[in-house]
Amino acid sequence: MQDKASARIRAHPRPAERLERTAPALARAAIIAGSLWLLSLSLTVATGSIAAVAGCVAACLLAKLHENNPLLRQLRAVFIMLAAVALAMLGVILAGWIAGRGLVAALFEPIAAFHLAEAIKWLCFSFALVGAMRILAQRSSVGGIVEVLLVASGFTVVLSAHRNGMINRPFFLGDFALSRGLDPATVLLALGCGAVLLLAALLLVEDNRRRLPYHFALFALLCLSLVGYVRSFGLPTPQMTDDLGLTGNSAQARENPFHDGENNTENKQAPVAVAVFRDDYEPAGGAYYFREGAYSQWNGYMLDFTSHPGMDRDLIPAPGAQARETVGGAGRKPVTTTIGTLVPHRSPFGLDTPVALAPAPNPNPLRFKRTWDAHSLVPQFDLNALLGMAAGNPAWPAEVREEYLRLPDDPRYGELAREITGGLRPQYAADPFAQAWAIKAHLDRNGIYSLANEHAYAEDPAASFLFGDLTGYCMHFAFASTYMLRSIGIPARVGIGYSVPAANRAGGSSLLIQAIHGHAWPEIYFAGHGWVIVDPAPQQTLVDMTTDPQNELQQLLGDMLRGDAAFEEFLAEQAGFAIDWRLARNAMLSLLAALVLAGYAVKLYRLWIPALAGRPAQHRLSYRAALDRLAAVGIRRRFGESREAFARRVGALAPALQALTAAHLAHALGGHRPGPANTGSLAGEDWRGMRRKVGAEIRAGTSAGKRLLAMLDPFSWLRAK
Amino acid sequence: MPELASLETGSANSAGGEASLTAAIGVLHRLRDAVRGQVIGRDEMIELAIIALTADGHVLLEDFPGSGKTTLAKAIGEAIGDGQHEKDNDPGREAAHFIAPFRRIQFTPDLLPSDVTGAPIFDSASNAFHFRHGPVFAHVLLADEINRTSPKVQSAMLEAMGEKQVTVDNATYPLDALFFVIATQNPLDLVGTYPLPVPQLDRFLFKITMAHIDRQAELEVLDTWRDRRDNSGGAPVVSRNEILAARATIDREVAIADAIKSTLVDISRNLRADERVLQGNSTRSLVLMLPALQAAAALRGRDFVSAEDIELLLPRVLGHRLELTPGVADLGRILHDNMREPLERLAKSTLA
Repeated sequence: MQDKASARIRAHPRPAERLERTAPALARAAIIAGSLWLLSLSLTVATGSIAAVAGCVAACLLAKLHENNPLLRQLRAVFIMLAAVALAMLGVILAGWIAGRGLVAALFEPIAAFHLAEAIKWLCFSFALVGAMRILAQRSSVGGIVEVLLVASGFTVVLSAHRNGMINRPFFLGDFALSRGLDPATVLLALGCGAVLLLAALLLVEDNRRRLPYHFALFALLCLSLVGYVRSFGLPTPQMTDDLGLTGNSAQARENPFHDGENNTENKQAPVAVAVFRDDYEPAGGAYYFREGAYSQWNGYMLDFTSHPGMDRDLIPAPGAQARETVGGAGRKPVTTTIGTLVPHRSPFGLDTPVALAPAPNPNPLRFKRTWDAHSLVPQFDLNALLGMAAGNPAWPAEVREEYLRLPDDPRYGELAREITGGLRPQYAADPFAQAWAIKAHLDRNGIYSLANEHAYAEDPAASFLFGDLTGYCMHFAFASTYMLRSIGIPARVGIGYSVPAANRAGGSSLLIQAIHGHAWPEIYFAGHGWVIVDPAPQQTLVDMTTDPQNELQQLLGDMLRGDAAFEEFLAEQAGFAIDWRLARNAMLSLLAALVLAGYAVKLYRLWIPALAGRPAQHRLSYRAALDRLAAVGIRRRFGESREAFARRVGALAPALQALTAAHLAHALGGHRPGPANTGSLAGEDWRGMRRKVGAEIRAGTSAGKRLLAMLDPFSWLRAK
Repeated sequence: MPELASLETGSANSAGGEASLTAAIGVLHRLRDAVRGQVIGRDEMIELAIIALTADGHVLLEDFPGSGKTTLAKAIGEAIGDGQHEKDNDPGREAAHFIAPFRRIQFTPDLLPSDVTGAPIFDSASNAFHFRHGPVFAHVLLADEINRTSPKVQSAMLEAMGEKQVTVDNATYPLDALFFVIATQNPLDLVGTYPLPVPQLDRFLFKITMAHIDRQAELEVLDTWRDRRDNSGGAPVVSRNEILAARATIDREVAIADAIKSTLVDISRNLRADERVLQGNSTRSLVLMLPALQAAAALRGRDFVSAEDIELLLPRVLGHRLELTPGVADLGRILHDNMREPLERLAKSTLA
């Protein structure tokens, strides 16, 4: 009776069994919820994210509970999909109604209505998505793939922000990793791989499909090697940030800096470099200009880098070198900046006007591709001071001045320039700066900034722009201005580099340079002041050139680049709960080495002790030694298999094991009396002989490679049973 | 299993017990080899029958007609000599001339108990009743289709099996000490049968369910049936007293380690706790199993019981003693599940 009662009790799942059943479902819910949360982070407010997580968990658990519901099983997959879509749409409509009508907003307050709408929208969306996905995954193995994809995409979306260099997103992860000297990308990637692996393992365990464990092991290896790759080589860098984007300073566009259609603002946020100001400086014109080079020499088609030794003597030919000609003067002030590029970059640049670039120590080679100190003489003069100044350097030879005045053989440039400058007041009519300012003002008023234009394949893109629709980007404005200035006798060139709005600095000492800031501008040489940037700024624009403020990233990268006390202090502040990775690694390695050594010690002990032990223990020790040797070559007794059956099974390899087994069992189970089976040839039980015979048979029956592995394995004895 | 051809010639062992065990093993092997000559392709069944005979138990075969049951029973019976030359030294055997080496009873619904046990018959010459011995007075009895007869006859048969005696008209007649029953029942043709209830099944040491013999063995049967027909009834290879002596020796000499006993108890406890088993096996079944295990070990030339013996016998001993939960049929699976863990513990114990 008692047996029956206990049997009946056992029919109810014990806590451990219940846990065993529900743990995979809970783990899966947590993983999917985590990835949905990551996905929703950038799309909604915190309320929406929480609702998404709640909807996901509810969907997972409900799907698990009604796994065997016959009604649900009979439903066609199409209807489930339709129901999910309907639910998601219902959520959107309801949210729109709540947010749109004044009723809820009037009852509570507008912000509460907004949060409520977001919560409802995301709850419905995640419930519908995850519910449909779970039901499909329970039905077929293909459904499980969708699930893995969703989890993977949750991490990929976040990681894709990293691709553009936003290494600080998400902040909690970025801060955690950076304060420990890790690359956040690696941490996020490892997390993502871990989640995908865990989910795959859950699918493997729960659905009992015939996927082989080593498929999973291979998958894990792939994921691990991906993490390892990123750890060693960093993330693949998008190639397009190599050029200056809008300035066209890339290899294939060498002949034609105007490349239409290739420019877009998709990666405009991608950080290119960070500059740390060592001296106080605030630009008068509202933007920081970083000059990388200049197009100044007419090559028969357009302006290009100069090959004339007398031209552009202010440009620095190579990092570490100095400008051959500097214009100091009262109007300029020395400012030192440290610049670190985050992507491979062709040539270094410096704040206008760089006079020397000196390599600087790279505080973080994983993050910064190249670092240097740029010593610049920044303009501080009032632009009015330029009125009345002569354009061009009197020290130039005639041929250099000639070069700076060459332009396409097109009379329209001169005509337009004279028409524009014709409107100047008489006292300024011949003044170079006033003329330049008039041209700039003309372009400011009439030009339209756009990245989608059709001038690139005209014979002279600048003419096509200037005498056409006046729609183009910085390159067109810069070339058109330069040609017009040259046409009225003002030496000018096209400067290229980066222009960053001064507001971006936001009061800090570092400045983030992003892809969108790539720029080209016209420059005029004024005697005594050097090259002065007179940059047209069109009032109409068709492109959203604004960027989100990246203050945290800017400061973080600046601190990293500066490598100074502030960053060290921040690290020290975090050190309270930071892990000393080196120590941890060494401890792990030592522990591992100790384990391996202990393994070898036990292995050798078990192998050699029969030779030293006395007869009473021989049956046990000798048999165990033989089992160890078999286990080392991968042969072991199965669970529940009797020793005799095992000996028969390995009979083909080691027939002597049967005699050894019989002798061993006779002692272990037979009251330590030599049994009849052991009489005759085995009389007196030659333990040493039997042991050696088994050893010899194993040697003869296995390959050398297998024996080598068997010898090297420190824990083979653990498998002997 | 080690072949022990050299056992008879014997080694220079000093222990007397060991010498007698060697002799006992020889008896079993001689009997086995003799039966093997007559019954082809049923080696396992032969071994089990000999184990049951040695363990003083009876066997229930679930089998189909024409599968060699009679041949087996007859071969065993005929291989055992009557032991006439020893009769003088055995005062308890005055009735031995009534004992046949082999008898067969075909059970039918209209059979009466006296048809099995025998009945007193009036002898007009001596003017007195004389007991006429029935077919149960035999060394080996084949009880064919035991489930086809009435419960009354079954009970008479089962008394004979359990008590080794028959009682007719208040007079009790002892059966031979060797009395060994091989009963059969057809597992499929159940119309008009009186299935044996579990307590009565308990009288049988083994219930063996058999499959057809393999192709090669079947061909061999066809090839040699003429020889075997002509040579049947060969000379006995062992005597009744030799078997009785072997029983005693094996009981005394074959060791049962404590680990074996705990394994048996653990398996029983596992089975009783299993949800698929309505009623587990009795303690008596374990007690009955011990001599069978000893016999199996001896037949394999061992002087100790080992895991192999448990694997061989446990399903046969416990199979018909378990009552399964309605709807559960997979007995083999249940036994396998519950045996694995105690057997693993037993295997590990030998290295501890």
